[in-house]
Amino acid sequence: MTDRAERESRWRDLMESSQQGDQVAYARLLRELLPLLRRVVGRKWRSPQDVEDIVQDILLSVHSVRHTYEPARPFMPWLMTITSRRIADAARRLSSRAANETTVDIMPETSSGDGTKNHDDVSNDRQDLQMALSELSDGQREAVELMKLQGLSLEEAALKTGKSVAALKVTVHRALKAMRASMEKKN
Amino acid sequence: MSGTQTERLIEALAARAEPVKRLPHPAWRALIWMTLASASVIAIVLYWGVRSDLAQKLGEPRFVIEVAAALLTSMMAAAAAFCSGCPGRPLWERFAPLPFLVVWLASLGAGCWTFLTSSAATSQAFGIDLTCSQLILVLSLAPAAIMFVMIRRGAPIAPLTTAGLGTLAATALAAVGLRFFHAQDTSLMLLVWQFGTVLVLTAAGALIGQWLQPWQHPRLEGI
Repeated sequence: MTDRAERESRWRDLMESSQQGDQVAYARLLRELLPLLRRVVGRKWRSPQDVEDIVQDILLSVHSVRHTYEPARPFMPWLMTITSRRIADAARRLSSRAANETTVDIMPETSSGDGTKNHDDVSNDRQDLQMALSELSDGQREAVELMKLQGLSLEEAALKTGKSVAALKVTVHRALKAMRASMEKKN
Repeated sequence: MSGTQTERLIEALAARAEPVKRLPHPAWRALIWMTLASASVIAIVLYWGVRSDLAQKLGEPRFVIEVAAALLTSMMAAAAAFCSGCPGRPLWERFAPLPFLVVWLASLGAGCWTFLTSSAATSQAFGIDLTCSQLILVLSLAPAAIMFVMIRRGAPIAPLTTAGLGTLAATALAAVGLRFFHAQDTSLMLLVWQFGTVLVLTAAGALIGQWLQPWQHPRLEGI
């Protein structure tokens, strides 16, 4: 049996055991998949951080649809279909984000130097912001971090948190209101 | 995110690896859908009452071919929709309803040609018949709802195709049901107002339905 055929057979067995709830087999399978996934994703993406993010996305996807694998069918086409789909999704996310960004050589001046904040002001603002963020509930903080700091869209954040778009919208609205109130109180 | 976080993610996923109920074979799922969807369509047809000339129509080869082709389009589209939610399955399966769709279209086309070349063809024979469109929409609602509940169990690897095939299955079945109680037999009218509605609703279902199949990732705190 060739290495590739032996690997296919082993992964098929490990996946079948994973479907039956064997956590050791599942962890072993996911670890064995990592080098392959990093290699496949790395062919399209240069940044190691992007590669790792997409690999993690693929692992999450494999986990959420592991019930769709039929042990009678080969494992690699199943895995590679999910992988290529998630790579395409990541490319689409990137292009939609890039469409909202503008590259400029020199940033236009929007205010005079006299009116801008000095280093201490900026530092205080940052502390106030962190303080306000830490006062939020876990769910509110997660929503703000995903949408306002990491820049995810409502739909992407909803997928990541498992909440509905409507619920997430309300959560972010309340979180920002609470943060505003907290910062106004301090100032 | 770093490699360490990926390692933590694997540990977290492994800790949540409960036994899963494997997705049944697409053909079996198509059969289940067909049973439930047909029941809803038959119930509506019986409620409104079958057409008075049904026995006579069932003796006409063109009527039988048209209805059989529409029914097979529906069955194969349902099976193809379920196949397209299973990663790694061959792509040709997604085209399975196509031959039956062509036969259905051809049977209507042949009827149109016969009608247009006959002496009965008049400008009054063609007109706006939104009743057909409305009835197909009503008849396909329950089959489409059942379909979308079922396809959400699959993997959203081709959401647009899956939603399109699923809607085609529902609307083609509705068109079959319609032929049993709506006495509209002019092929040109059937082509435009029934087949046309099926295609328009399929396109709309594909566009809307793709958003109903998100990746449903587990919530992992602290990763």
